Amino acid sequence: MSTLAQKIHLAPEQRSLLLRLVVLLLIGTGLALVSSAFLGANNLLNLLRQASLVFLLASGLTLVILCGGLDLSIGANVAMSACLAATVMKATGSPLAGCAAGLASGLLVGGVNGLLVTRVRVPPFIATYGTLWILHGLTYWFMAGDTIHGFPPAFRFLGSGYWLGVPVPVFLMIGVLALGTLFLQYTTMGQEIYATGSNTEAAALSGVPVLNRRLLVYMLSGGMAGLASLVFLARLNSAEGDMGEALTLQAVGAVLIGGTSLFGGTGTLAGTLVGALVLTVVLNGMNLLAISANWQPLITGVIVIVSVAADALSRRRSGD
Amino acid sequence: MKLKILAGIAALILAPLASAQGERIAVFTKNQTNPFFQVLRMGADSAAKQMGATTTHLIPTKPDSIPEQMSLIDDVVIKKPSAIVFTPVDIKAMVPGIQKINAAGIPVVNVNDRAEGGKFVAFVGSSDHALGVVTGRYLLQALGGKGNVIIIEGVKGSGASAERVRGFQDALKEFPQVKLLASQPGNFQRLQALQVMENLMQTHAQIDGVMAANDSMASGVIEALEGANRKAQVIGINGTKEAVDAIKAGKLLATGDYNGYLQGCISTMAAIRELRKLPVPKEVIFPPTVVHKGNYQPLDVPLESRSCPKWEEVVKS
Amino acid sequence: MGSLQRLPGVAWLLLALLLGLSAIAPGFASAANALNVAQQATLLLLLALPMTLIIMTEGLDLSMGASLSLCTVVLAVTSLGSGSLALGIAAALLAGVLIGLLNGVLIAWLDLPPFVATLGTLGVAQGLALVLAEGRSTSGVGDGLATLWNGAVAGLPVPLLFAVVAWAVFHVLLHHTRFGVAVVALGGNREALKLAGMNERGSLVAVYALGGLFVGLAALLLGSRLGGGHPTAAIGMEFDAIAAVAVGGTLFERGKGSLGGTVLGVLAVGVMRNGLNLLSMPSSLQVAAVGAVVIAALVLDSLRGQHRGFAS
Repeated sequence: MSTLAQKIHLAPEQRSLLLRLVVLLLIGTGLALVSSAFLGANNLLNLLRQASLVFLLASGLTLVILCGGLDLSIGANVAMSACLAATVMKATGSPLAGCAAGLASGLLVGGVNGLLVTRVRVPPFIATYGTLWILHGLTYWFMAGDTIHGFPPAFRFLGSGYWLGVPVPVFLMIGVLALGTLFLQYTTMGQEIYATGSNTEAAALSGVPVLNRRLLVYMLSGGMAGLASLVFLARLNSAEGDMGEALTLQAVGAVLIGGTSLFGGTGTLAGTLVGALVLTVVLNGMNLLAISANWQPLITGVIVIVSVAADALSRRRSGD
Repeated sequence: MKLKILAGIAALILAPLASAQGERIAVFTKNQTNPFFQVLRMGADSAAKQMGATTTHLIPTKPDSIPEQMSLIDDVVIKKPSAIVFTPVDIKAMVPGIQKINAAGIPVVNVNDRAEGGKFVAFVGSSDHALGVVTGRYLLQALGGKGNVIIIEGVKGSGASAERVRGFQDALKEFPQVKLLASQPGNFQRLQALQVMENLMQTHAQIDGVMAANDSMASGVIEALEGANRKAQVIGINGTKEAVDAIKAGKLLATGDYNGYLQGCISTMAAIRELRKLPVPKEVIFPPTVVHKGNYQPLDVPLESRSCPKWEEVVKS
Repeated sequence: MGSLQRLPGVAWLLLALLLGLSAIAPGFASAANALNVAQQATLLLLLALPMTLIIMTEGLDLSMGASLSLCTVVLAVTSLGSGSLALGIAAALLAGVLIGLLNGVLIAWLDLPPFVATLGTLGVAQGLALVLAEGRSTSGVGDGLATLWNGAVAGLPVPLLFAVVAWAVFHVLLHHTRFGVAVVALGGNREALKLAGMNERGSLVAVYALGGLFVGLAALLLGSRLGGGHPTAAIGMEFDAIAAVAVGGTLFERGKGSLGGTVLGVLAVGVMRNGLNLLSMPSSLQVAAVGAVVIAALVLDSLRGQHRGFAS
């Protein structure tokens, strides 16, 4: 496989992406053979919608990890932003105001994370772990066990609506993928993010404003959490204190399965998208085949290990 | 609401300084996120206020955390409240903790989830199984005794989920012409139930009814149905405000009333009565009621304006 | 620990907590409560001590919580199934070590980043715990086990004995053995390891396997406390352990570590939670307070000039 890819002159990252697409296709084919419902149009559309929810969250995280950092607070950020957006929407009757509140909240949290990491020099793991707890505490206190439910159809369109027969979140996913990839590959700032993650000292020496780029990616991660929270809110039609509990791990899984390296400097948004699809397809398959949910963590864990190990082995074999 | 929170903070700062008036009841619930327990806590507070006692709430910071509830028990044994009202986060794992409370001589009332060991003054709750049966039966009768149904279970391994699902299945036995297509867990989570339902709708073209083990999941199922432009009768259990709203809007057929508020009221009253040497029955199990379009009004009242009924009205000796 | 200047911020934080809580929290400053806090802290300490070594090697172990839950399930299922508590204990320890070895092999031989490898084994261990526990009785293991949590040896509660012995073992390993030297080298200076003729891979595997062993020991305590096993009893505990280690002054990079700091970190979080409970602070505010303390301790260190590079 690698020699064939080398013959076609694929860059290592493209090779990695191709490998993952092949794996996704294999899993998909397997499921299609075993379950007649898998290839149904509705099922595929549902899959895409489910994957887009994970991807929106994981996209910001990808940028943070590319830059050599980590953000554990995204799930809690989604909960807080959604609850805030819901409250504002109910209070003002304006979906626009609610969306603005949710996005602002997400960005603010991202900014706090970024400042803790860049100015106060707290390690990202601890900084975002700390903000996770603080966000949870604030959200529980604020919601006091209540649920806010019932939002205007105009807003709900964002999460549950269809446009041209395709779920709206899928368009958001494509949009984020396109804009994000353009940003990363074709702007100076984007390239600087890769450089910072790849070799911070060298980047700093060549004039990259390393701290500012780091702050930027944390803010983007927070902002994407804010956006994801709006889509979740629209999809679920309700806000609760423990929304998004399981999302952080799913987003991390999507990023890692997608081939982004934790050491920074390697990875793509397209990879994260494929990672999100792999996770979603596997879960969908388990539902269709009525496999007990108890096997989920195990299967997910194995997929993460296998995909990262495959990368490590292929890098070793081609002498990267 | 905000004013209440500020007042609460002021109270907690001043509390250690004030001398304790009346009995101090420590109320253990599973988490801060499930609206059901919020309602239970409010019932407990209301009952205590009515009877001149005070309540403290002990809730794990990580939802449903077993080691944390264990630590809370350790801490509470030091503080020695007059009595304890206790919902175990796990009916088996918390037994040693309950035994510790017993050893410390603090009277304890079991509420909501029946623990599998330990000595209690009383158990106050609703029968998950009975609720499953009556709510399931209501759905199947609404379907005219035939069609296809799906069960959405709760958390695998949770006593409440197992009992409710058992109730659903017993109701199904009464209607042999109804076909059970699938029974899958939604983990009591809205989003999961939504996605499970979405996926199940792909494999089954005709679904007439869905029995969800709690209201959050029922809401998720309704969202999935609406998103796919399909119709089915849906029932949930818990009797939350959201469920009542959905019934009013015609989206939810019915919900089983889990009586969270009453559970809080009666269990706290039972604890206080025990301290005042008044008679307390060993069990208070609320009769299972189905809340539907015809009888939701009593539940459609904002919680702040509800108050506990008199003990004698509820407990017939 | 040397001069006051080198005391991690958490030491001052702990002092402030102890003084403040003794003054305002009813029942805090009593022997019974102190014993309480210490006993509760032992579980976390048994995880945080090996985590200190792992972090010193620039690694992480995210699987500890899931592995701990798995080991309690193994303990319960084996004891109840075979009728022998001793067999159950052996099985639990073995399970812990196996997961630890799996981590070590993935990290040392396959070169997987520790975060990823242990995230994967987290899933594996959690899945195994759920599957193993399903439909099987995991409680009522019996009085023999209960003595681990409730019993005492010469007046010292058994859990505290575990904690003291664990600390002693790690202290000796880290400061007085070649293994300890290897651990430090794995963190800052892997070339030195090879030059000294020590096996880099073997040492790394050993670090994670050691962690697994102590997860198994922690499972004995937790199982005793619960009267059995539970597949989700310890979810998330590894994050608490990592936070305690970081708060205690161990850096994520360049292998500088402090076992004493870890002990202080574990105590600080435990003391704070206990104090807030005694103060009847609303649970949601307690949640926020935990995060605040964790960040505050590191901010303190940062302000006092103990730099932490860009860690990952």
